[in-house]
Amino acid sequence: MLARLARRLVAWATSPATGLMLLGFASVLAVWHLTTAVWRLPLFEKITPPLAVFREWFNRAPAFGVSLFTPLYYEHIGYSVYRAYTAFLLAVILGVPIGLVMGWRRTVYRFTFPLLEMLRPIPPLAWVPLAILMLPGIEPPVIYVTFIAAFFATVLNTLLGVLSIDQSYFRAAECLGFSSWHVLRHVVVPGALPFIFTGLQIAMGLSWFALVAGEMIAGRRGLGYMIFDAYNMAQIPTIVMGMLTLGLLGWASSALVRLLGRKLMTWRA
Amino acid sequence: MASLIDDAAPAPRLGPARRLGRLARNEALWPGLAGIAVFLAVWQGASMLGLPMLRHVPSPLDVLRQLARVVQGSQYWLSWYVSGRRVLLGYVIGVGLGVPLGLAMGMSRVFHGMGFPVLEVLRPIPPLAWVPLSILFWPTMEQTIVSIIFLGAFFTVVLNVLGGVEAIDVNYRRAAVSMGARPWHLFWKIVLPATAPSIVTGMAVGMGLTWEIVVAAEMIASIQAGLGFMMWQAYVGGNIALIIVSMVSIGLAGLVSSTAIWLLGRRVTPWLRRT
Repeated sequence: MLARLARRLVAWATSPATGLMLLGFASVLAVWHLTTAVWRLPLFEKITPPLAVFREWFNRAPAFGVSLFTPLYYEHIGYSVYRAYTAFLLAVILGVPIGLVMGWRRTVYRFTFPLLEMLRPIPPLAWVPLAILMLPGIEPPVIYVTFIAAFFATVLNTLLGVLSIDQSYFRAAECLGFSSWHVLRHVVVPGALPFIFTGLQIAMGLSWFALVAGEMIAGRRGLGYMIFDAYNMAQIPTIVMGMLTLGLLGWASSALVRLLGRKLMTWRA
Repeated sequence: MASLIDDAAPAPRLGPARRLGRLARNEALWPGLAGIAVFLAVWQGASMLGLPMLRHVPSPLDVLRQLARVVQGSQYWLSWYVSGRRVLLGYVIGVGLGVPLGLAMGMSRVFHGMGFPVLEVLRPIPPLAWVPLSILFWPTMEQTIVSIIFLGAFFTVVLNVLGGVEAIDVNYRRAAVSMGARPWHLFWKIVLPATAPSIVTGMAVGMGLTWEIVVAAEMIASIQAGLGFMMWQAYVGGNIALIIVSMVSIGLAGLVSSTAIWLLGRRVTPWLRRT
């Protein structure tokens, strides 16, 4: 077991792909370091060098109050994760059933699809001012905007998933005397599942995308707010730290959705 | 998406009156309009009754009245122009750099090995999280906004193009190479035509994203002029009808631009079955 793991690790470390990857990251960091710390090129001189960012990030006593060792950092992360996942889950709970029914029942599709297409082009972020006015408190507007971003992607992809199902399956189910419930359970849902998960991946990405903007404009906590606050106080290492943290969280969330999809769709290799 | 409504065969050319008649008899039309009408009626009713959440929201008729007033002024059209120029500039740069980079990463293993992991690390950072750093970096706000729009279009285009190159059946390449094709031939005769649909998709999706970004960027950077700025002004001034007018305008702008890209893409890839 351990030997196999070690062997795999060695294979990974010595493969050309790993070398190229490290080379890629090294060149990006080198350019960042050289332009900001060594040559101090005109536009780059105001940007923090990579070392300063990491020194702040891993500092027990950070100069600007936020680092891996301060509770405030995790508070921002907690708020952002809470908002992104609440909105995402709401979008899934509402969006998947709506998409399924729209794709399954022709009449529902005819009545609702044009309405969907009318509302969908309005960018989620354009909802921010209206959401602030319509909804009370600080959390609901931010979550609402994030929800809108995830919702349309979920509905549309679920709908496309149902429409992509081969009609023969429906006919076969009918011949075999399936009830509506069984058709839904054994034909519609499994048939649409691959598209649903594509939609969820897109929705997860869009959630984080909208969340950051929502937090910058309306939030009082969260990573988007942390970045914007750091900008106002000219704490540049904190800005970069927040960006990298967001990237990491966004990436991990997408990976989670991908993993879940693979678990639920074991029939697809 | 109109494709989901049946249009199987290309229709013969009809006169405008006949075409209108055919549209009116189209069975997909009336239910769709009914759905939209119900939505507007509920909205109108809710704002007249003053339901809790919609108490501050003006009715559709008020919004329409506001729109009629606004389109007469030059300020409104100036906002369209300013936002449109920003979007176009950032988008053109994003596509101009994104397409070659995606193709290069798809063609060259070294390029892919070095570039792709870096891309995967940078891509999950939401474009708007770059705003503060961009403000510090670029001397003017105009450049800041264009650079954020660039980022949004760039990543989308690169990933779509790369996906397109990777989806090419390896047998085409093998066949070409066995018949003595040079890399240059491979690129022009196989990679570029095979990737064209993905380029179009990436460009259309990227276009949709740029309009989302320009609105938020204009709100965050509080720059003068632009549709997002107009909306923020309306918010600060408490003119909610104007907020909704701005929302609809932005949606319309995005829709028009994406449709334009799709139509352009159809011209560039005439061999694809029109679905």
